[in-house]
Amino acid sequence: MASYDGFEYDVLIVGSGAGGGMSAHILTEAGIKVLMLEAGRDYDPVEETPMFQMNHEAPLRGVPTPDKETFGYYDATVNGGWWVPGEPYTKAEGTEFLWWRSRMLGGRTNHFGRYVPRFNDRDFKPFSHDGLGVDWPLDYDEVQPWYDKCEKLVGVSGNNPGVYDVPDSGEGVLQPHAQPRVYELLVEEACKKLGLPIVPMRRAVLTRAIDTREACFNATDCGRGCSIGAAFQTTTSVIPWAKDTGNLKVLTDAMVREVHLNDEGKASGVTFVNKKTREDVRLDAAVVILAASACETARLMLNSKSERFPNGLANSSGQVGRNLMDSTGANFSGHVPALRGRPRYNEDGLSGNHLYIPWWDYEGQDNGSVKFKRGYHLEIGGGFGEPGMGVGGSADGYGASAKQMVRDNYGSNISLYLRGEMVVNENCFCEIDPDVKDEWGIPVLRFHWKWSDEEYNQVAHGLEWSKKIIEAMGGYVTTSGTTPEEALLPGGEIIHEVGTTRMGDDPTTSVTNKWGQCWDVDNLYIMDGGVFASNPHKNCTITILTLAMKNSTYLAEQLKGDA
Amino acid sequence: MTNKYVSKINRRDSLKWLGSLSSFVVVGGVVVACDTPQEPMPDVTGESNWPNLTFEPINAPGYGTDPDLLNPTTPWPKTLTEEQLNLVAHLSDIICPADDGGPSATDVGVPDVIDEWVSAPYPAQQSDRVLILNGLHWLDDEAGRRFGSIFIVASAPEQLQIIDDIAFETQKEVAEFEHAALFFDKLRTLVFGGYFTTPEGMADIGYMGNVPILGDYPGPTEEAMVHLNEVIANLPA
Repeated sequence: MASYDGFEYDVLIVGSGAGGGMSAHILTEAGIKVLMLEAGRDYDPVEETPMFQMNHEAPLRGVPTPDKETFGYYDATVNGGWWVPGEPYTKAEGTEFLWWRSRMLGGRTNHFGRYVPRFNDRDFKPFSHDGLGVDWPLDYDEVQPWYDKCEKLVGVSGNNPGVYDVPDSGEGVLQPHAQPRVYELLVEEACKKLGLPIVPMRRAVLTRAIDTREACFNATDCGRGCSIGAAFQTTTSVIPWAKDTGNLKVLTDAMVREVHLNDEGKASGVTFVNKKTREDVRLDAAVVILAASACETARLMLNSKSERFPNGLANSSGQVGRNLMDSTGANFSGHVPALRGRPRYNEDGLSGNHLYIPWWDYEGQDNGSVKFKRGYHLEIGGGFGEPGMGVGGSADGYGASAKQMVRDNYGSNISLYLRGEMVVNENCFCEIDPDVKDEWGIPVLRFHWKWSDEEYNQVAHGLEWSKKIIEAMGGYVTTSGTTPEEALLPGGEIIHEVGTTRMGDDPTTSVTNKWGQCWDVDNLYIMDGGVFASNPHKNCTITILTLAMKNSTYLAEQLKGDA
Repeated sequence: MTNKYVSKINRRDSLKWLGSLSSFVVVGGVVVACDTPQEPMPDVTGESNWPNLTFEPINAPGYGTDPDLLNPTTPWPKTLTEEQLNLVAHLSDIICPADDGGPSATDVGVPDVIDEWVSAPYPAQQSDRVLILNGLHWLDDEAGRRFGSIFIVASAPEQLQIIDDIAFETQKEVAEFEHAALFFDKLRTLVFGGYFTTPEGMADIGYMGNVPILGDYPGPTEEAMVHLNEVIANLPA
């Protein structure tokens, strides 16, 4: 048994987000001692979440700045965003790519959207259906009971709408979903007219308390994190539970530099930088789990070179860093005059979508009437949100009439956000930049990115249908970029990057087997989104959690068997 | 009428106040900013009297990547001169006067928000600063050209004569007023943003959230449903 600071452990986990957190929970429950390393600082949502703070209390009314990018002042991202101080990444010439990171316990689970749609049978076998990409070494039937178990543990509100894109959860798994709001009901009406499905969004937001985690009290944005534990994040659930077993020790500000390999070809431990002292520390371990996020894990493996693996640890396939995928994203907005000046009421609800439009045209993909192979869904934006600095952006003139315009306009815009599946392609990958290192001396990633016609055709379809939906509500389109090229957001921007250490049945074309166990190094496991063989349009976190649960259970059985 | 703006916030509070030009949309439970892209300023041609002044960049520190979210503070000092602040205050109430729905912009301290805004060290706000400060300067120049005075001491009808030339979207197409119209658009957005984000402004616009509701989310009120059903009944065929 390895030890650090008097704590003896079997398994070392790199990362405390969805994969690392869930893995720590499963292993420690099984009585296995775990040391977890997190590159960011310690973070406690109970103490730190700004639950009711308002825009007027924040600098610049809470708007995004280079210090708190995109999601604004109150977002639960610490020392991160599209750039991390002292830890750059680079892009090949002509590449547009964005990489969201945070440096905090719990990682990006602290701020994610809590949209948790599960994959269906087809999502696991994309190649078999359309000849593109690769199949997973898993099928839905094998994962289905784990989805149930994971959703039950996480706490998911939603329903079983009987739509193919949204497979049923087991009896008693889901909690009641929240009632739709006026703008969602109007979109529902438009969808009925157009023959589109619209269903409750599965949300990792409790509507019923579970133990000490309270039910959502229908206020404040989930992106700030949740001090009452209603919105799932590892820092109010799996990590504290794992600590409670006495089997977990967490080291924060511990940035792993390298994974070591011993003479037998096994992972023997890691070296991390203690960010506070700036010293390197070497740790031993019987088993190493990488769950640092798809790209950070690939970076770590590519930086861990040895005689046996000159191209990076467990990379005999050459696939580490390859097959990088994000979701496609395109945002589409409209104004609905009939909603102007509508009666006010509290539309906070669960803060995100209560309804959304799942992918509907599998048939069109099969018969070729749809000119792309993979689906998308449409999320819905609108409502009486807390006013921000842009609330008066569409007023004209001045004085009482302009002031009234702002009031009338409030709550009358509806947005549709396309989030779709991209097809894996050889032009999207990350590698080590030969010249650039971060402030800890660790070589950084260089990204390469290129969309294919699959994605442009998909976005064109989404734009067409979004326009139909807006117009079916009597609205008109206000988005300026209406070609797919203008509308498709840069790679990485949807923050669903996966695939860089994919699982498979063939060691020459994949990095791990279906258990996330590296083909080349059998005591090295990957528990983050890197193992995804494809990236269905369904937000990745619930599947990362589910696979980490399934694969950590397998690992625990192996370790118990050894004992 | 007094032209002296008296700040509505004390010094401690003033360190907590600020503003930006982004609307927020909730996507996936996280707030996504729809940043209005910075419109590149058009070139100044012979027809424009835009002063096109340049300013020393603000070098004050930002709040950093790990600020205290429970006790927000604003580390940069305000930079508007007394004259500039008074003019901003005067314009704020032209844009957002008191009416039956709520107080005026200056009643709720909007000029302080704008001062914090244009004094911020971030690129978007620095760009706004150049536009706003040039705009304030242009107003005085224009009042001088037309009435031989600075803007704030011109008569109310004289002031509105200028405002009417720059306050409307269509005036961005008029070469003489193109820049000033962009300035006014920006200022109006900041003024209404500042106003409707205050507790008084939120009450005015009817934002009823940010309060805990125990139990299930109740959904729309009966009144809201009656309205929705009317909207649905009148949808295009």
